Amino acid sequence: MSFIEVKQISKTFRVNKKKSGLKESIKSFFKRDFIDVKAVEDISFSIEEGEIVGYIGPNGAGKSTTIKILSGILIPDSGECVIDQMTPWKNRVKYVKKIGVVFGQRSQLWWDIPAEDTFDLLKDIYEIPEEEYQTTKEDLIYRLNLQDIINIPVRQLSLGQRMRCEIAASLLHNPKILFLDEPTIGLDAVSKQVVRDFIKKINKEKKTTVILTSHDMADITSLAKRIILIGKGHVLYDGSLKKLQNMYETEKYVSIKTKDKLSIRNKGIKEKTKTKEGYDLIIDTRYITISELLNIVSKKITIDDIEIDHENIDNIIVKLYEDYKI
Amino acid sequence: MKIYFKSLAMHLKGELEYRVDFILSFLSQILVFFTYYFIIIALFTKFEHIKGFTLYEVLLCFSIIQFGFSFNEVFARGIDKFDDLIIQGNFDRLLLRPRNIILQVLCSNSDFVKVSRLIQALIIMFIATIHLSIDWNITRVITLLLMLLSSCIIFFGIFLMAAAYCFFTIQGLEVRNVFTDGGKHMAQYPIGVFQKGFVYFFTFVIPYAFVNYYPLLYFLGKKDSLFYAFSPLLVLLYLIPCIIIFYWGMKRYTSVGS
Repeated sequence: MSFIEVKQISKTFRVNKKKSGLKESIKSFFKRDFIDVKAVEDISFSIEEGEIVGYIGPNGAGKSTTIKILSGILIPDSGECVIDQMTPWKNRVKYVKKIGVVFGQRSQLWWDIPAEDTFDLLKDIYEIPEEEYQTTKEDLIYRLNLQDIINIPVRQLSLGQRMRCEIAASLLHNPKILFLDEPTIGLDAVSKQVVRDFIKKINKEKKTTVILTSHDMADITSLAKRIILIGKGHVLYDGSLKKLQNMYETEKYVSIKTKDKLSIRNKGIKEKTKTKEGYDLIIDTRYITISELLNIVSKKITIDDIEIDHENIDNIIVKLYEDYKI
Repeated sequence: MKIYFKSLAMHLKGELEYRVDFILSFLSQILVFFTYYFIIIALFTKFEHIKGFTLYEVLLCFSIIQFGFSFNEVFARGIDKFDDLIIQGNFDRLLLRPRNIILQVLCSNSDFVKVSRLIQALIIMFIATIHLSIDWNITRVITLLLMLLSSCIIFFGIFLMAAAYCFFTIQGLEVRNVFTDGGKHMAQYPIGVFQKGFVYFFTFVIPYAFVNYYPLLYFLGKKDSLFYAFSPLLVLLYLIPCIIIFYWGMKRYTSVGS
């Protein structure tokens, strides 16, 4: 039995259907039409302790719903879910002591008072022993670099500073599992890096299992080896990121620096553009490999320099979404 | 309980961050709510008494209900404002904490500005009892305290019931005001002045009568039975269905999107 075992979870919401316009609003005031929306349907997967899993999918795919079910906020209509030998929505009080949850779009800190006061309150809520609390807190302050911001009212913090405090607040009770729902949303490059590095570290050192959703693929590539792709409520792909990349990455970008003139014709070359210093090629690796290309090119011209680039992961995801029509 | 007082302290800290706002709101609350009392006084310049109740008897009754209502507005604001908690999605957060949900809802909000109403209610009660020639004895003191206590409890129950309503729909919240505000306005007068049907309704459905009518009769010496003196305790029973309904509603919680 795996650490996290999810079996055929489904959840349906009733949504009030309403057309736009005042007239329609008045009409729906008296008579409402409901439609049933299947947020997630038949979701199954299992996760081992200490894994980092990227949970991806377009907006409205059911990511947040799954996170909410796994963290015990929502009760699914059907299906089973056992995490660390507990069912989240049945053993709520006992279960939530073992998890930490960060919602990137929502704050758990008190708006008008410094973050440290919130930490103190969390200490009482989670009944953390004083000594353990002090060491964990010091450690988090040091790692997330919170010394200067922990005593400022939260409303005066920048988004990046606040997110660091949020993450610290979610880890005060040393959870075994950490759910991160878009933890880097709206952050600048530096803050994103801090957050990523930190997540990597605690996963490595404390064996914390991390489930992460994000629309920023850089988050996923830098953190997760395994991804679960979800669309329209179904699991579409579950496996390593590498494999997915290989499956979908058929294009490579080759830029060649040369003074010679290159004329080349091959089925595998999709695009050739002349630049100041040479040529930029886009090749399709299904028809021509890099070494084949190099072979052909080097026979024809002298190469001063060459650069080979992968396809952007975002493009792969776009392709993937298109393929699955989600 | 320690958590509750700690969050209360934090709310106070937060509210005091906006000092001028706090002071002005505090003063305006006092002014606005005196008008309520003036209306009653105005009424009694026209009529000597309403169904046998004099001005100060009605004021006493009124202040007790105000006390219970305001008490909950200050200390159980989270339950009063439960719809905000649901709409803004912050209820999710409470579900993630290893504590009793109702306790956490209590901790989630408070409104110290309303302390002004509490003080006001106590002042009016004090004035009213001075003007009434009460035959003071130990049971009468206990009865008065029980009335205050049960007033707090009944509004807690009603707020909780109204909060449970939010689990089913966050639309049509005015319906629940029929029971909170509407009920409050009715109960500000001794229930006995109303028609029989109302008396039954406020005895058996929402037991306001046990807060400010039956004990009031004893307190004023209109009835001698000790049952009347200790009837406020029956309000405790009212809490049971309120709590059950709240937890039942929680099972149907559907969260909001993010």
